[in-house]
Amino acid sequence: MKTKKLIWIAMLLLTGVLLAIGVTRSGSPLTQQDRIDSLTSHLACPTCSGESVFVSRAPAAQAIRTEVARQVGAGLRSDDEIISYIEQRFGGQVLLVPRATGLDSLVWSLPVAALIIAISLLVGAFARWSRNKPGAPSAQDEKLVEQALAQVSDDQSKG
Amino acid sequence: MLASAGIIGTIGRALLLVGFVGSVFGAFAAITGVRNNEPRVIRLVSRFAVLAFAAALGAFAVMEYAMITRDFSLAYVQKVGSWSTPALYNFAAVWSALEGSILMWVLILSGYTLAVCFWMRKRMNESLAAWAMAVMMIVLAFFFLVSFFPANPFANGAPGVLDGPGPNPLLQNHILVMFHPPILYLGYVGVTVPFAFAIAALVTGRVGEGWLLATRRWSLFAWGFLTFGIALGSWWSYEVLGWSGVWAWDPVENASLLPWITGTAYIHSVLVQERRGMLRVWNISLLVATFSLTILGTFLTRSGVLNSVHAFSESGIGAWFLSFFAVVLVVSVFLIGWRGDKLRSPGVIDSPLSREAAFLANNVLFAVFAFVVLLGTVFPLIIEALQNRQIAVGAPFFDRLTVPIGIALLTLMSIAPVLPWRKASAETLQTRLFWPAWCGIAALVASLASGAYGLAPLLTFTLGGVSSGAALRQVVLATRRQGFRGLVGRANGGMIVHLGVILIAVALGASNSYSKSQELSLVAGVPATFAGHSFELTDVIEVRDDRSVSVKALVIVDGGKTYEPAITKYTRIGMNVGTPSVKTSLTSDIYLTLEPPVRQDSNTARIKIFIKPMISWLWIGTGLMAIGTFLAAFPGRRRRPTDATSAPVLVANKSA
Repeated sequence: MKTKKLIWIAMLLLTGVLLAIGVTRSGSPLTQQDRIDSLTSHLACPTCSGESVFVSRAPAAQAIRTEVARQVGAGLRSDDEIISYIEQRFGGQVLLVPRATGLDSLVWSLPVAALIIAISLLVGAFARWSRNKPGAPSAQDEKLVEQALAQVSDDQSKG
Repeated sequence: MLASAGIIGTIGRALLLVGFVGSVFGAFAAITGVRNNEPRVIRLVSRFAVLAFAAALGAFAVMEYAMITRDFSLAYVQKVGSWSTPALYNFAAVWSALEGSILMWVLILSGYTLAVCFWMRKRMNESLAAWAMAVMMIVLAFFFLVSFFPANPFANGAPGVLDGPGPNPLLQNHILVMFHPPILYLGYVGVTVPFAFAIAALVTGRVGEGWLLATRRWSLFAWGFLTFGIALGSWWSYEVLGWSGVWAWDPVENASLLPWITGTAYIHSVLVQERRGMLRVWNISLLVATFSLTILGTFLTRSGVLNSVHAFSESGIGAWFLSFFAVVLVVSVFLIGWRGDKLRSPGVIDSPLSREAAFLANNVLFAVFAFVVLLGTVFPLIIEALQNRQIAVGAPFFDRLTVPIGIALLTLMSIAPVLPWRKASAETLQTRLFWPAWCGIAALVASLASGAYGLAPLLTFTLGGVSSGAALRQVVLATRRQGFRGLVGRANGGMIVHLGVILIAVALGASNSYSKSQELSLVAGVPATFAGHSFELTDVIEVRDDRSVSVKALVIVDGGKTYEPAITKYTRIGMNVGTPSVKTSLTSDIYLTLEPPVRQDSNTARIKIFIKPMISWLWIGTGLMAIGTFLAAFPGRRRRPTDATSAPVLVANKSA
């Protein structure tokens, strides 16, 4: 049993080390195209519902893609600057990701709250179940059993 | 077709009316028959089911006839019909817009109603079956009514129209449009059957496990079709839409995913009820949620409400679906409350380290998953209603929240299949997880060796290894014990479904994290390279037919086959549709799209190239899920109560 435990510890350590290697190394450096793709996937296509500029083939999305590519190619603006530039130029709500401020932040916090509530309900249920383990019959249960037994012995004595 | 002007529409509407009356009478016969215990009345139910199905089939056939003969007296044919649409796509044009898809819903639902009726024909006198029929008939009546009033496919169109634009170009350039919608609907609508039995169980007070066992296969069947339909939709998206992805998190996709999530939670937690008699309220709630999410999803995607809260009132169908959704919820919640005392179960779950506890954790994760998808989908509506401004919630939001949920689910899939019911000890786990853990390490080493990086994908691959080890362990042990029977039945088929899910998770992890793309301006005869592959443009050609003009770029990839990404202009609609061309292999796909602007006469083309690793494994995983679902539908080996649970005792010598 001891050796098995040791093997388990070794396995966990090995996994941890391998994961650490994988997390610290990185892929090939980002190209301009990667930047364009990532920027356009965070921008909302103005004429679609819920699709990004990266996904949509609509002419409006096409126009924004071309503009983003031009900006990235020029290399003068940072990602945030390009987004605010697009926001000015094309107007309206262009960001596909809700902000983390004001009412919009609810979309981020509600799922976390839901998870916490769900987990605490689950924990509560387990606590309740471990308190009410069957095996400790209540006084009422015992009374019922006594009555039933009395009934049986009555029947037998009659029969 | 002038001779039939007006007539065909009248016939179609008359059939819808007959279907409506038939299903109302069917529901009435079922309820009065079972309440007054009159077998003669109950026998009428199946006749009404036949009548409703015949009416729906007739209405659908009339619609197909009108579409095939291009009867432009109907507004719907004017909208989606055209002389230039090829026969197959013209056949599918019937379900290419709202009115026709509701008609298909009616047809499929009446088919299910008839099938359930036939299946229950000997037990129709039982109150559970009769009430379930009544619920199905009432839902069917609602859909007949929707098709008769707000989504009438047989409305007369403007006179004098001789040709139309045809269906949306995206719905007439890939054969999947024939299969994806009907299969998805078979799943979407099939959810009605277990829902009807759940409501019947509440009404009759027979809330034990009988109705669950009865509808097990129906739930599995609907779930399988829903899964397969969603997967076909992703395949269609990949092959047709030209953005190289399989899932865009748009509201229509989310509407099909929501019932799938709650349905998946249900087919897991139902096992706890079958085995331990627990979670009765929860399971009924999951079925109610699944069914009402199909209605809510239809409301969200078909009423136009998502474009703007204010578009809601423009289409009549929104109010119908919203009201029906409200009725379903109110009635179900009332019934659950009313039967509350009968639904309480005496059992307890002994240990957090047990099969049933794992199912509970699964349900918590799926519930949060469904909440995230629903919240993200309706959040723009909430903001618009409260603050009167437009926001968009898209893929980056869903990705950020669902990736951790997916990883948590994979963790659970690693441990849960090896957990025994009731209670596990740490030692059992250590022994049973030993080989699965090595599978995980092997997967991690293999992915590192092939250059993978980043926490989320590496965790996905590692857990994918552990969970496939856990699933294989179950299948291997079962087949060793029972031969080929170890592959069928719920637990074993379920593990094969798990293997499919794991392949899909790994493929998604790889393709989302390690895709590369580049736009290349190709000149004919001059090869270019990207990511170790060569691309050479040979020609740019133009292909015309009577509905479209396509420009195709002929590109030789890696000196081999020629691929033809194209942009097609559908002249009647004036819409440009790109068609990607994909070189598929088991390790990675090369996905080419032609980018505008295109000029046929020039010898140049702008081609966008995506290198997407492991995409084929999505489709292989889907196939495995389908096979597993099919195997799970067969009855597995059940232990007879009289069978010995220990090893048989060998009789040493008979003759002695």
